[in-house]
Amino acid sequence: MKEIRFYGVGGQGVVVAAKTFSVAVSIYENGYATTIPAYGHERRGAPVYADIVADNKPILKNCFLYELDGMMIMDDTLISKHISIEKFKNEDTFLVLNTNSCSIAEEYKNTYHFRNVYYVNATAGAIKHIGKPIPNSAMLGALAATGIVKIESIEQAIRETFGAKAGDCNAKAAREAYAQTTKI
Amino acid sequence: MTYKMMDGNLAAVEAMKMAKVQVVSAYPITPQSNIAEKLSDLVASGELKAEYIRVESEHSALSVATTAQLAGVRAATATASNGLALMHEVLGMTSGNRVPIVMPVVNRGVAAPWTLWCEHGDAMAERDMGWMQFYCENVQEVFDLILMAYKAAEDKDVLTPAMVCLDGFFLSHSMQKIVVPKQELVDNFIGGYKSQNTYLDTEDPMFICDLTGSEEYTEMKYQQKVAMDNAIGVIEQVQREFEERFGRKYSIVEGYRTEDADVVLVALGSMCGTGKHVVNKLREKGKKVGLAKVTVFRPFPAEKIREILSGTRCIGVFDRSAGIGGQGGPVWSEVCAAMKDISCDIRNYTGGLGGRDVSPDNIEKIFDELLEISQGKRKNHTAWIDLKENAMDIRQVIKNV
Repeated sequence: MKEIRFYGVGGQGVVVAAKTFSVAVSIYENGYATTIPAYGHERRGAPVYADIVADNKPILKNCFLYELDGMMIMDDTLISKHISIEKFKNEDTFLVLNTNSCSIAEEYKNTYHFRNVYYVNATAGAIKHIGKPIPNSAMLGALAATGIVKIESIEQAIRETFGAKAGDCNAKAAREAYAQTTKI
Repeated sequence: MTYKMMDGNLAAVEAMKMAKVQVVSAYPITPQSNIAEKLSDLVASGELKAEYIRVESEHSALSVATTAQLAGVRAATATASNGLALMHEVLGMTSGNRVPIVMPVVNRGVAAPWTLWCEHGDAMAERDMGWMQFYCENVQEVFDLILMAYKAAEDKDVLTPAMVCLDGFFLSHSMQKIVVPKQELVDNFIGGYKSQNTYLDTEDPMFICDLTGSEEYTEMKYQQKVAMDNAIGVIEQVQREFEERFGRKYSIVEGYRTEDADVVLVALGSMCGTGKHVVNKLREKGKKVGLAKVTVFRPFPAEKIREILSGTRCIGVFDRSAGIGGQGGPVWSEVCAAMKDISCDIRNYTGGLGGRDVSPDNIEKIFDELLEISQGKRKNHTAWIDLKENAMDIRQVIKNV
């Protein structure tokens, strides 16, 4: 069982990313994924998060998550917004970070003591492929680079979520981010 | 088998659509809103051939649904929280006139304090209004229990409406993987709708809901009581038939690893999933704990409760509603009454109010307390299991004191 949280700010498509990831796992990998709603803070620009539990067998738990196997952070300024991510991680928790800067990725790794940090400039990829700074699809590609889900499943789930036309460019953003993700 | 990803609200809509409801009158309220919205979309697109009647309140929503169903169709509505409270008067009209409506209730606390979030206080406040109440553990159960509720409610020996209760946000907004059967299978299971006993037909006029004197009122209430008594057997039969047709097994009360358990926690709703998870974890540590999941709360399955709990000397009951002024929560009271002739220690736990998480840690804490009590190492239990230490300081206004 893997417990994962997507952090971002309202407008980055955090909730859509969680749903898309759960479709990728549940429908395209014959696994099970449950999204746990983080309700009440859907405001553009404000910090938001979405939780997902993924497993290869039916999931019993239906509650908030307290110890995460992985985190995805779609906005690298989160570190300055007093979001306490430390209490939800253990020494093995991995991080997938959207940043254009290697030094910011290093800062996250050292400040929060992540064993593995995967980073990519997902916003740039989103602008290039979909013409908008909405990094969610690209970040799902980066998440696939951790090995937790196959990039092909992510691409299929994106096409299902976004429909034919938007699905194609979002899937391209995911595929490119998957290839460009750096692990430190 | 076809799997789909759905949240609890969409699963409820899917089930009502497949039951071919022909009149919809729903008033949106968080966290039920997308049931009302999605039904509206389906009617607008023609996918659901129904009349969507816009109403100005939940009181009207259930009034319209009840009278529409009397005219001979399945009618749909759904609500939550204060919306259910506003329906209170009409709930009695529906059940007393023996109209077997099936209504999803998305559980949310009733104000005040204002809350949007999950607890069972809204449905528990209506537990004596003559409606059956089913509680769902997960999104698959939302879909399945709605289908079973139609079949049980419309049975000639029952003719009693049913609430299918799903936890606000924990189920209504949680995407989960579910099996959606083919329409043909659903048609064969629940069939078409036909009004029985009471109906509105211009060719055959009938006076319904007239003033009833004391010479008949008691007997009509007794008929409702007998219908509820009948419902236990009918629901069990419907569950067996559901399993034969759809392959998923249900019980009015599910005993989960209770056979050899030293202590058992009784619970209902989405917390049962987390409860089972904790049971498995503690079993690995050698602690003999079990969970009894109450799927049907009205009619209360007392005999089944006795069957599952009779070998257990120490029992906890988790109420996700405050039961203010009672000796304990409503589920605890019912369990105590069911077990009154059996020697056992039944402890009341209250928690998970207004969206507070029923966490694995808190459930584990309950099991540990119950184990200590059963071993004679402890006398008292923590009745308000997730209460903060500074409870009495919260929002205390010191001005003018």
